[in-house]
Amino acid sequence: MSDQIPQAYVSKIDRRTALTWIGVVGAATAVGAGVVVYGPKTGGQPSTRGYGTDPKLAKPEPAPWSRIMVPAQLQTAAILADFILPASGAAPSASALGVPDFIDEWVSAPYPDQLRDRPIIMNGLNALVLKAGAAERAAALAALPGSGDPATHAFWKKFRRLTIGAYYTTEAGFKDIGYIGNVARASDPGPSDEVKAAVEQQLQKLGL
Amino acid sequence: MAVAEPYDVIIVGSGAGGGMSAYHLTKSGLKVLMLEAGRHYDPAAETPMFNTNAEAPLRGVGTPDKPFGFYDATVDGGWQVPDEPYTVAEGSEPFIWWRPRMLGGRTNHWGRIALRFGPLDFKPKTRDGLGYDWPIAYEDVAPWYDKTEKLIGVSGAAAARNLLNTPDSPPGCLMESAPPRAFEIFYARAFKAMGIPVIPMHGAVVTGQMEGRNTCVFATPCGRGCAIGANFQSTTVLLPPAMATGNLKIITNALVYGVDLDKAGKAKGVSYVDRRTGEHHSVRAKSVVLAAGSGETARILLNSKSSLFPNGLCNTHGMVGRYLMDSVGTGVTGRFPAMEGLPPTNDDGQGTQHTYIPWWGYEQQKALGFARGYHIEIGGGRHMPSMGMAGLLRDDDTSVGDDLRATLRHRFGSTIGFDGRGEMIPNDDCYCEIDPTAKDKWGIPVLRFHWKWGEHETNQAAHAVKTFLEVIDRLGGKPEGHVETDGRKAISKGGEMIHEIGTARMGHNDADSVVNQYGQSWAVKNLFVMDGATMVSSPDKNPTLSILALAWRSADNLATLARQGAL
Repeated sequence: MSDQIPQAYVSKIDRRTALTWIGVVGAATAVGAGVVVYGPKTGGQPSTRGYGTDPKLAKPEPAPWSRIMVPAQLQTAAILADFILPASGAAPSASALGVPDFIDEWVSAPYPDQLRDRPIIMNGLNALVLKAGAAERAAALAALPGSGDPATHAFWKKFRRLTIGAYYTTEAGFKDIGYIGNVARASDPGPSDEVKAAVEQQLQKLGL
Repeated sequence: MAVAEPYDVIIVGSGAGGGMSAYHLTKSGLKVLMLEAGRHYDPAAETPMFNTNAEAPLRGVGTPDKPFGFYDATVDGGWQVPDEPYTVAEGSEPFIWWRPRMLGGRTNHWGRIALRFGPLDFKPKTRDGLGYDWPIAYEDVAPWYDKTEKLIGVSGAAAARNLLNTPDSPPGCLMESAPPRAFEIFYARAFKAMGIPVIPMHGAVVTGQMEGRNTCVFATPCGRGCAIGANFQSTTVLLPPAMATGNLKIITNALVYGVDLDKAGKAKGVSYVDRRTGEHHSVRAKSVVLAAGSGETARILLNSKSSLFPNGLCNTHGMVGRYLMDSVGTGVTGRFPAMEGLPPTNDDGQGTQHTYIPWWGYEQQKALGFARGYHIEIGGGRHMPSMGMAGLLRDDDTSVGDDLRATLRHRFGSTIGFDGRGEMIPNDDCYCEIDPTAKDKWGIPVLRFHWKWGEHETNQAAHAVKTFLEVIDRLGGKPEGHVETDGRKAISKGGEMIHEIGTARMGHNDADSVVNQYGQSWAVKNLFVMDGATMVSSPDKNPTLSILALAWRSADNLATLARQGAL
């Protein structure tokens, strides 16, 4: 991590989502085409509604619940997500894929698993926000993975888990990890000779 | 085109049993009214084919609203259905009940595993003295299996193997499966070393050319449903041709709660509540078919009380709700260094597993400490990434950046999950009845379940776990997480395999059963049951194909009786 002050994280929520949000949480400021940065969430009743037992599946609508993270927390989430998965070669950084927004969607969700994660993530982000000076931040990030403090350790594990899941479920993530499916095919020819040979070699090593 | 009263037949339910009954009865020229408790469902428009997890809320993970994940086809349901509770008796082992509320029922999301019951499965008591024999034999059902496989489209064709109690389908019934994937080639070698055969899975997926059907595109999971109808769903394969006859009318959101009798004690129709409006309706027909799913079918019968049947319809001998069964479920996942670092390959496959392991221990049963057996369903490969991707990392892994990327890339696709699906012997502790106090939103009394696994089942579960650990070890792998070797803890919850069957079983007379071999009730000759409720035993083979074949056989008998004026 360099000492250079990172670019401010710009939320990757699309305009359709943003318009839904405006109705729910009030003030939001549009910046450029299809990208918005959110102002303080004042006024309006935050929604804690789930998507229900019959959501539209073919064209999913954005999650209906209000987001709880404030800009400072989103910025911290971006720094941390990019510490875990910075850009590398052709692979974009976690923040470029909107991972902080996803973390916000996750910790804001009204379901039991996510409600359990909420204090772990939010307390962790708040602690890091306090150490937002460049030098302190770099030191704090470097110390995170090896932290012996149980709360910090739990935050790190959880945040990293969410970041990895959010990252690799995107098309860019597919490319990076080597998932080449989800394409219509006329037939399934099975694995290539190269793959079969590699498996065969392993089986022989195992005496099978 | 509009079908109007008087109907010849009312069918309650639109899943495997109801759909197949409607298919045959409408083609036989009978006028049919189908009542479905859930909403209309259009797979062509609603199926999330090719959607990525990133497009779904929470990256598609399961929530209480969508327990099997956002994209699972199930509508308005899961382990709980809003406004429609059920209870589990105090002191009972856990029981859970999966219900959807949609046209086509559970055929929309099922696993498409389509295995025939075998000859021993119909005569289990004759074989080992336990449980009960069916009033029919494999030979009685075999022609209907043939017809069903040809109609719904089943893959898994192979040269006849003549394995015990694992029927080969005759030539022409099945299509060829896609070749085994890398992980399937890999695991097969361990089973081979143990002397256990690995054979093509029978899956209700069109993998070849089939008249009037689209071929599988070998991508996107079947559990989401299929917009192109390449796998079997009642909504894509049975209901459209039934509608095309002009003899079928479907009413959705119609929650049936009672069969109505005339003065002579014959069924004159059913009563239902419209789930949207709360209005009650009664509809009339010359015959009634219950195919609401084993639990709901039993509930309708038990709630249909009259002076003739004060304890519920067809329940004079207390047989309704008895002999509730499920499959024995077990599972262990392994991670395999030998499968790491393989070149990228497309493992999406044909939806079902391409190969599986049928039960192999028939000859050793006495030494094993349990009667009956299990087959093994095995999943693995490089599936579309999900929120669980960090599970590929060791617990103490703290890497970030390029190290993290490299580890994930290296391990992607190197885990394999082994699942046992086994036979349960019916016992007196597993049944459902009407809860004395609990009611649903519309005031209809709900089911109360009682459950207790027997020792044959828990011993079987322990054996399955031991087998999986041996296979994982032979393949140089390590099991993931905590592995429960005590069968009583390793076994699934009652109902969890979503194979609940047997609440209105068939038999030889009204003292030992609710219906005859054609699903015709002993007590009311124009009332039929055509879902899994009629099953006498719960073989390891997943029940849907047998529900379809038996419903076709029963519907054919009903059509003959109707023609003869015998109803």
